[in-house]
Amino acid sequence: MAVSVDDAVSAGPVRDHTPPARRFGGRGRAVLEVALLTVLAVVMLFPVLWMVETSIKENRDVYAIPAKFFDFKVTVDHFKDVFVSSSGGRSGLSVSFLNSVVVAGVSTVLATVLGVPAAWAYSRFALKAKKDQLFFILSTRFMPPVVVVIPIFLMYRQVGLIDTQLGLILIYTAFNVPFTIWMMKGFVDEVPAEYEDAAMLDGYTRLQAFWKFTLPLLVPGIAATAVFALIFSWNEFVFAIFLTSSDDVRTAPPAIAGLIGGTTVDWGLVAASSVVFAVPVLVFAYLVRRHLVAGVTLGAVRR
Amino acid sequence: MRYAQRIGRLPVFGRKVRLAAAMLVAATVAACGGGEDDGAEASAPKAPATIPTLTQDPLTLSFIWFEWPPAQALEAFANAEYKKQRPNVTIKVNTVPNANWHDAMFTQFAARKTDFDIAILDSQHIGEAVTNGNILDITDFVKQNIDVKAYNPYLLAAYGQFPQAETGQRDENASLYGLPLLGDTWTMIYRKDLIGDKPPQTWDEMISVAEKCQADNPGVSGLAFHQANGSDAAAVTYNTVNGVYGGNLWNSKDRKIDGVLNDQAGQEAMDVLVNKMKPLTAKGSGNWFIDEVNAAVAQGKACIAFQWIAASGGLLDPKQSTLGTSREQILDKLGFATLPSQKTNLVPLGGMGMHISAYAAEANQAEALNFLKWFEQADIQKKWAAAGGVPSRTDALQSPEFLNAQPFNKVYADSVPRMRDMWNVPEYARLVDIENTNVNAALNGAKSPKDALDDIAKEQQKVLDSSGRKGGGGL
Amino acid sequence: MSDPVAPPAPGRSRRVSDRWLAVGFISPAMLLLLSMSVFPLLWALYLSFTDYSATRGGPARWIGFGNYTAVLTSSQVHQRALTTLIYVVGAVALQTVLGFTIAYLISRRTHGRGLLTTLFLVPMMLSPVVVGLFWRFMLDAQFGVVNSMLGSLGLGQVEWLTQRRTALLSLVVVDTWQWTPFIMLIALAGLTAVPKYLYEAASIDRASEWFRFRTITLPLVWPLLLIAVLFRAIEAFRLFDLVYILTSGGPGVSTETLSFHVYKVAFLGFNTGTASAYGILMVLVVIILTQLYLRYLNKLKED
Repeated sequence: MAVSVDDAVSAGPVRDHTPPARRFGGRGRAVLEVALLTVLAVVMLFPVLWMVETSIKENRDVYAIPAKFFDFKVTVDHFKDVFVSSSGGRSGLSVSFLNSVVVAGVSTVLATVLGVPAAWAYSRFALKAKKDQLFFILSTRFMPPVVVVIPIFLMYRQVGLIDTQLGLILIYTAFNVPFTIWMMKGFVDEVPAEYEDAAMLDGYTRLQAFWKFTLPLLVPGIAATAVFALIFSWNEFVFAIFLTSSDDVRTAPPAIAGLIGGTTVDWGLVAASSVVFAVPVLVFAYLVRRHLVAGVTLGAVRR
Repeated sequence: MRYAQRIGRLPVFGRKVRLAAAMLVAATVAACGGGEDDGAEASAPKAPATIPTLTQDPLTLSFIWFEWPPAQALEAFANAEYKKQRPNVTIKVNTVPNANWHDAMFTQFAARKTDFDIAILDSQHIGEAVTNGNILDITDFVKQNIDVKAYNPYLLAAYGQFPQAETGQRDENASLYGLPLLGDTWTMIYRKDLIGDKPPQTWDEMISVAEKCQADNPGVSGLAFHQANGSDAAAVTYNTVNGVYGGNLWNSKDRKIDGVLNDQAGQEAMDVLVNKMKPLTAKGSGNWFIDEVNAAVAQGKACIAFQWIAASGGLLDPKQSTLGTSREQILDKLGFATLPSQKTNLVPLGGMGMHISAYAAEANQAEALNFLKWFEQADIQKKWAAAGGVPSRTDALQSPEFLNAQPFNKVYADSVPRMRDMWNVPEYARLVDIENTNVNAALNGAKSPKDALDDIAKEQQKVLDSSGRKGGGGL
Repeated sequence: MSDPVAPPAPGRSRRVSDRWLAVGFISPAMLLLLSMSVFPLLWALYLSFTDYSATRGGPARWIGFGNYTAVLTSSQVHQRALTTLIYVVGAVALQTVLGFTIAYLISRRTHGRGLLTTLFLVPMMLSPVVVGLFWRFMLDAQFGVVNSMLGSLGLGQVEWLTQRRTALLSLVVVDTWQWTPFIMLIALAGLTAVPKYLYEAASIDRASEWFRFRTITLPLVWPLLLIAVLFRAIEAFRLFDLVYILTSGGPGVSTETLSFHVYKVAFLGFNTGTASAYGILMVLVVIILTQLYLRYLNKLKED
């Protein structure tokens, strides 16, 4: 059985390979370690806290020197500005958030529909040059986006996909399919093929066996994989900025980037929209915390 | 046992894959070899001389601009006013980040399909757009529909004419590809409460006043200006100083930059910028552009600042400022003046024109022509001025509606005869990037001023001379 | 699985149907990859031998290896390659050391491991746009919180983003901040999987802490760590968005990475041919280095 990362994440089984107190200086060392860990945690988390703080500060406090850490007036105006435009209607940012939901959602569904059956086939059947095929699939994921965007741009202009949501959806799907295949292959491998064999002895076809017996067991894995695909599409910036430009197509990352470089920068608004943008990702990441290791390594490392 | 190492042996790229790839290459080359492109025009298509019949169906006329207040002002103004004449038309101004402005327009031009009907091009983008046939030639339309005598000829040239010398002489025989939308130039913003009501008159005087002000007021820096390496920020700053100190950007007749830009005057300008002006700026201001300069002024951290007029409106907003709690209080402290002069009185030309996409639908192109005609009327130009825009018609520029709308509008009216633009050539984007990065390097100590200037001249010359070179274009 | 068990029809030859099933399941995904990843890349390969420009239009002239020699001999490219190298090595080394340290410290705690791990993972989940924007805000020399804190410690202001050395350092720091959790996560997976009995055996032998670390912990975590490093190196090599937002390559061109330079060649002058050659060369570098690295890794595992 593979060990899931949950063992690392949850409090897990207690490991007591350092019998404390018996060893000279054991306690002192533990204190030191905790202190070091705390310092590192503070350093790593400070920017996030500062972002949240900035998002609820009034703009005059945002620029204050020295920086105000505690004594500032709390306001939710910036969060209101994220969703409501100054004239009262829906803000441009909220439109881009909606676009992000559509683009990320549809591309994830597509990648799952295309990737899961392929992963199952790679897992179950002996195929010619399977390893080569799989490695080839993975390698398409590693191309620098700036390089890919040039020919994609030329291709899209021939077929009229520049500045369309469909264009973004297709390219995100193409980037997510390799990931889905690799990640899902691992999950399929964990479901014994014997289940399907048994079903087939009962007279089911292979397809029926997959559909009725294997697929239901894969649902948690599919969910985890889909969430990672969703996170990728949600955060993606390079394709979005080069392949789209109109307000009703643009996704949130280029829209947030567009908040700076005008005539004044409303850092409170930048922070608030960043927070709003990050929250769904963090929630989703928390939901799939068991599969994080596989998720971030495209399934290359699984435990 | 819970320990299960599951990293499979990672395969090495197989021979078969390589073979398959090679075959696919051959196939693609064969497929793409013929008729790679869909009949690109050699020059801009012509717009009709008279406005075709307009549609009565609902129609959205789209613009593309970058994200800044004038973009919102234009959308609000046009929807309020143009609708009175054409109730079936809605105006939409799409905005992109400033850094992405050129790319967003020209990638769509390259796609031969635009989501905008009217591109708001920077004056120097015209060359690239015209050479590639991306925007309509409206020469005949202008002759029939626009009263060209109502304009300072220079402004018509700057925002519409190609080929156009950067000195902006209107050539009656040259073609026009756009009409002015928003005029702009730099204004000097000075702290009346720190340096007095009278703005410095010469560049040298300005520097010494700033020096004194910085020494007298701890925490306030003498100068604030654009230094960033994005867009055209640092390049415009150098070009301005270059102009004021009598330098030239190029010799347009024989397309010479090397030896012209970095001549005596050019070097003096670079020296003034890096060795006299830069030391008076705030620490870490080497990546400042429009918004950072505004922030510095609004926070009361600069004695003298230089800013585009169209971007100065936010300075008078008490919500963003620590200089006062009302517009009047802020204006007690902030003064706006035309740039000081030195050997010449040149100022940089900013602002943009409206240019009709060659790929817009016919009905939209017709509507766009109608919009242009409507927009350039005297009373509409005055209303545009009142709505916060900067008009180009002389009568509108001299009107009280314009001069009283904002404290810096008079600066613009006074600056019009003093303007100088950059090179308006198809290679503009590369030229300005070379200048931007090198001036930025000099300002931040990554290059000596002399090396930076020589590198600009050398590299820009290479770009101008590189047509006909085999491969490696763009390096 | 709510279907009543259908009377299954005895299938045809199972082999044949399996093959069709595999083809049917894999080909849609493959088709997408071929059209969205492979075809564009081959198109770019073709264009890289021409002087084609996406805006000028007109036929593409075949110029052989002209673009390749131009890219390979350009001193501008060499400069960007050096910048990228420094950045990749600096960032990956720093985050490996830090990530491993954090993972090691966490693995030695018995309480709060889940919470700690989750907290540490937050930066990794954020969009590069959000990370870039926010660090730009924090590193601002005038009102940024970093300089503000340095100021209260009595240290001077640092021009983080506008000096040659510090700007590159800032890129390294921000990348390290975002991706240290990645290394940590994978290292943690390795550390928690070290079987307890090995430590128990060692502690009976009264082996020193350092000895146990060196002989038990490290060898077991090492292969995982190497894979994590590979992933990070590939990602760092193609870095674009952080540069685009944080420094836009400045001061001068001193933080321009290869990806950023490709972008400039491709979109400022629309020298599509040159940019394609440049991009193809980047892809080749990734493929070749990855292959060498994987060979080394596989050899390491066999020993």
